[in-house]
Amino acid sequence: MNMEQPDMSQIASTAELRPVPPARVSDEPSSEHPVVFEVRDLDVFYGDFQAVRGIDLDIRQHEITALIGPSGCGKSTVIRCLNRMNDLIETARVEGTVTYHGVDLYGPDVDPVEVRRRIGMVFQKPNPFPKSIFENVAFGPRIAGLTADLDDIVEESLRRAALWDEVKDKLDEPALALSGGQQQRLCIARAIATSPDVVLMDEPASALDPIATLRIEELMIELKEDYTIIVVTHNMQQAARVSDRTAFFSVEVGEGGRRTGRLVEFDLTERIFTSPSEKETEDYITGRFG
Amino acid sequence: MNDRRTHFHRELAALEADLVGVAGRAEGMIAEAIRAVVEDAPAVADAVIASDAEIDRIYLDIHDRWLELMARQQPMGSDLRLMSAILVLNATLERMGDQCVNISKMAKVVHGLPRSEQILEELQEMADLVRPMVRRSVAAFIRRDVAAALTLPEMDEPVDRLNRQMYQRVVACGPRKEQLEWATRMMMVARALERIGDQAVDVAEQVVFLATGEFREFGDTAGSGDRT
Repeated sequence: MNMEQPDMSQIASTAELRPVPPARVSDEPSSEHPVVFEVRDLDVFYGDFQAVRGIDLDIRQHEITALIGPSGCGKSTVIRCLNRMNDLIETARVEGTVTYHGVDLYGPDVDPVEVRRRIGMVFQKPNPFPKSIFENVAFGPRIAGLTADLDDIVEESLRRAALWDEVKDKLDEPALALSGGQQQRLCIARAIATSPDVVLMDEPASALDPIATLRIEELMIELKEDYTIIVVTHNMQQAARVSDRTAFFSVEVGEGGRRTGRLVEFDLTERIFTSPSEKETEDYITGRFG
Repeated sequence: MNDRRTHFHRELAALEADLVGVAGRAEGMIAEAIRAVVEDAPAVADAVIASDAEIDRIYLDIHDRWLELMARQQPMGSDLRLMSAILVLNATLERMGDQCVNISKMAKVVHGLPRSEQILEELQEMADLVRPMVRRSVAAFIRRDVAAALTLPEMDEPVDRLNRQMYQRVVACGPRKEQLEWATRMMMVARALERIGDQAVDVAEQVVFLATGEFREFGDTAGSGDRT
């Protein structure tokens, strides 16, 4: 990791982590949007196994970045490096550089818990706590000590997650009684209740039916006005529908059949799906595998 | 190459093959339509007009299959570009057929009127220039041959020149009503041939888009002159 000491005043103080007024952005991706994550020469190992090799990636603010590629290409591994979820795996080792707003995310003074508050995550399978709808959303703010405006935070989070109208009269009911699509939107509400800057989504709609999937996709497009979103998806059409930029990952098979993920191409989504630069991308999106 | 979408790619190839078949028919119609004019042969004109029904039938069939493929297969990358090009070419080739019908209708209207050999020679020359344009643009499409496609604007220049000077030829026919009527109709024949030349250039533009992903109008950059 970077040897240079990061300016931790930018990330260590909860007081500075109150929500920033959302900047209104155009629908078009722009290279003018500031870079949130700068990933350079990222290698991730699980024990002796190298999961990904040499990843370079710039994630821009208020854009949806999609990570696509075949199973085992390392896209989930990469997204989990962005909020240090891989720290929770004992054998995981991260090499290279991941900076977040210019700060080394893996610097010695960075608190991983604070990182995960700023950089929320939504998983493939909706995973609400076995608590009420209200308590699910209030959980994060309570831990952060934000109890004064809890009702307002819960309502605002549910509104942003496009769930408020459906649950406002049953906030005390169990979250697990909601439908799968509602549970996933509740998880999104829970993720944004702590006022994150970034929301990571790992296959957020793959367990949902098409209607619920479309609601999540619409929600993602609305949320990018306030947040930076990175989504891992197996669904190429989903990446094409929602994302501004797309990163295509592939797998290289080394000695002894070892499979390591690498980034093949990263570009505007429109270009990736109409005229990609790399033949490997072209073969993947057209269903031709060499 | 292991193709995971063999059914889709087979359907796409069949669509392209049918389109190329339409191009062959259109090229044949150009030859016959101009023969109807030059030989003053209304029966040939009738045959051309009748043959357009088959182009229209294939045009509608390709359109329906295209729509189904788009809805069911959601193509991407070069497949998406090919689908886009097929849609444009299908409409372009169908219009070439329509231009041949227009020429044939003119041939029938002027049957028996006094003619100008010079105008007929120049119309034949235009047709002889336009048919290779159609052939080359479609061959470039089949082979994804950008270099061949880029020669189309140059091939179009003499066609445009002959079309522009047709006005002078008509004026030179003099005030005789019947010959003036014939000549005026021939100006419309020249215009139809000029349009077919432009449509061949449109096909070539699609070839460049298909091969490179960049779409541009040749007329804007290649200095091919009149694209009106």
